[in-house]
Amino acid sequence: MNLATYARRNLWRRKGRTILTILAVAVAVLIFAVIRTVVSAWNAGADQAASDRLATRHKVSITMQLPLNYSTQLREVPGIEASTWATWFGSKDPKERTPFFAGFAADHNTWFEVMDEMQVEPAALEEWKRTPNGAILGDVLARTLEVGVGDKLMITSDIYDGDWEFKVVGIYKPLRRTVDRNSMVFRWDYLNNDPRAEFAHDQIGWMMSRITDSTKSADVSRAIDKIFDEREDQTVTMSERAFQLSFLGAFAAVLTAFDLVSLVILLIMTLILANTIAMSVRERTHEYGILRAVGFRPGHILGFILGESVLLALIGGVVGVLLTLALINGVMGPYIEENMAGFFPYFQAPVVVMLQALGAAVLLGLVAGLFPAYRASSRKVTDALRRID
Amino acid sequence: MVPLRYNVRSLLVRKVTTFATAFGIALVVFVFAAALMLGAGVDKALSSSGRDDRAIIMRDGSDAELSSRVEGNHLGLIRDQPGVRKSDGASVVGEIVVVVTAELADGSGGTSNVLVRGTEREGLAFKADGASEATAFRPEIKIISGSAPRPGTTDVIVGRAIAGRFKGIGKGQSFDLRRNRPLHVVGVFDAGGSSYESEVWGDLDTIRDSLGRKGMVSSVRVQLEDKEAFPAFRTALEGNKELGVKVQRESDYYKKQSEATAGFLSGLGMAIAIMCALAAMLGAAITMNGAVAHRTREIGTLRALGFSRLAILTSFVFEALLLSLIGGAIGLLCVMGLTLVSFPVMNFQTFSEIVIRFIATPEIIVSSLIFSLVMGLVGGLVPAIRAARISPVEAMRG
Repeated sequence: MNLATYARRNLWRRKGRTILTILAVAVAVLIFAVIRTVVSAWNAGADQAASDRLATRHKVSITMQLPLNYSTQLREVPGIEASTWATWFGSKDPKERTPFFAGFAADHNTWFEVMDEMQVEPAALEEWKRTPNGAILGDVLARTLEVGVGDKLMITSDIYDGDWEFKVVGIYKPLRRTVDRNSMVFRWDYLNNDPRAEFAHDQIGWMMSRITDSTKSADVSRAIDKIFDEREDQTVTMSERAFQLSFLGAFAAVLTAFDLVSLVILLIMTLILANTIAMSVRERTHEYGILRAVGFRPGHILGFILGESVLLALIGGVVGVLLTLALINGVMGPYIEENMAGFFPYFQAPVVVMLQALGAAVLLGLVAGLFPAYRASSRKVTDALRRID
Repeated sequence: MVPLRYNVRSLLVRKVTTFATAFGIALVVFVFAAALMLGAGVDKALSSSGRDDRAIIMRDGSDAELSSRVEGNHLGLIRDQPGVRKSDGASVVGEIVVVVTAELADGSGGTSNVLVRGTEREGLAFKADGASEATAFRPEIKIISGSAPRPGTTDVIVGRAIAGRFKGIGKGQSFDLRRNRPLHVVGVFDAGGSSYESEVWGDLDTIRDSLGRKGMVSSVRVQLEDKEAFPAFRTALEGNKELGVKVQRESDYYKKQSEATAGFLSGLGMAIAIMCALAAMLGAAITMNGAVAHRTREIGTLRALGFSRLAILTSFVFEALLLSLIGGAIGLLCVMGLTLVSFPVMNFQTFSEIVIRFIATPEIIVSSLIFSLVMGLVGGLVPAIRAARISPVEAMRG
């Protein structure tokens, strides 16, 4: 009989307790994975965002706008292949079917050329160029707002007065998982020509450029900002993801708190494991005395107990990882990707996180077993035998 | 009934197990209470920014000051409406807000958005400036260091919650709103813990000129005669369709912001706490199961002595509740340390950062304790039922 067999048989002596402990470890692993997935999904956008694209906005504020002529001057910067611009519309659904969606006015000649992960049928693009109030929507948004190609769509705005009527001319297809399927693009000139947008006439919110060599993005960024450095409105150019995050800067603190909570759950797991092992060891003090009396060394006892503890944690960890696969990657992930694409375009538990969870479980299983194992192995044989409860 | 002392002593005998389980519960209660305290902090900061005898006027259709525009020449008309305070002091103040990107001063290179508010001369007249409490437009504002901004200059003051948090926005420093037109931070102000303490305040015209928005304000704040004057004031202004404005009580405006932000944060935190509670409940179940198994013979003896099944059930449920209550108390004790910590959160309505303090309220303490008791009850019920079903004869036979 070897250590593993002994540990396995011992575990099964208290079926109820073992099953509860395995469940507790599994739940802890699942929670750990959920939290770590949120954090990693938040940061993952950075890896997934196009690295050959740069965003340029007003240096002082995310809400201040740039003069339209910046968009032509930007193209003179060497290394820029194509560029486009857009303005935030602050769109709202008057029927309140969705609390929030991204709506913006973009240059219809260049937008989809630069944002090439949003694929639009050539016919729809042609139709857009012919239709001043044409709008192109993501499939999720179109479903929420119950519109299809050819339909009229009424939208209000947080920034511009009154009702705005659009004609849906197309649905864009996401070619990358990071594409927000819950957004709407319409023509910038339609907004600019409207008297209700007079206060922001010939102004644009931000510019997007695709560069020829993504390794030179830092140089190109500097070159762009340099052109406008002497102007009234200075610019700041950054990666697309940094641009998205600049709207949500203070969210970082919440994520740090999340990280801390993921450690708390590991601590809870350790306590539960240690408690189970301590209880088992206490019940078996007498047995360990007998084992010692027939010639097993203290090291053997230590090994038996640690083996049991690690095995317990390992089984719990594996069950937890299976739960993670089923719940996060199977149920939660697709739901979040569809409905919260703006925050989490990609929400799947990464393999690294699952390995981390499993590794932490095994390691903490060892830690949890150490104290009871040490106590049991260093107990005097006569003391152990005398204990009968 | 089995004497309660029996349970207390049983818990004390098994110190390690009791501690491990109680501490696990304590950690969950900590997370639970922290989430609620964060929500309460956000709520306190935002709700104390608004008063119910003051109104805020914005463009109809805007949810927040940031996206609102009101013609500056409407101010005179607003002043003439019924219900506006007519006595001495300012009653109608136009303001402009903008968020600026600021780099954290901690050297991490991180940035955040800070709300900058330009307000009229009257809006900047605080008690420290010689105005009496009765006539100052915002008597809750006090300069705690440096001086009040002089109207018509590039002076600005920074709220105490963010003083020194960002580069250029500390007392004695300056930052640009527009190229080569620096705003000088001359003082730090206290606003009674409200979200104003996470803002930078300066002169309306200076800030408006920097933004190139002459003649426009973001919002108009109005001091009413009293809070009953609001409905008539609102009807009068909103009835004038040409103005195209929306009138809200200041308190309602900030309550809406608080619901969006505090609701989201504490909801998120609670969701995590409830998941963690699942693990802690399993922990409690393991402990109580062990206790029952360990004391089978004792339970048999108690039954033989004449204690009813119900008495045994009650006794073990009580023990589980006591265990979880100890955990809850430890957790609450630890979480109180958070009240010394300030934490930056994002106001979803303005994209700007507000720095809040964790706040413990009696409701939070009570609900945390109830939460811990529920964990104990759910974890301990099944083992207690098992204990109650133990047959005295078999148990004593061993």
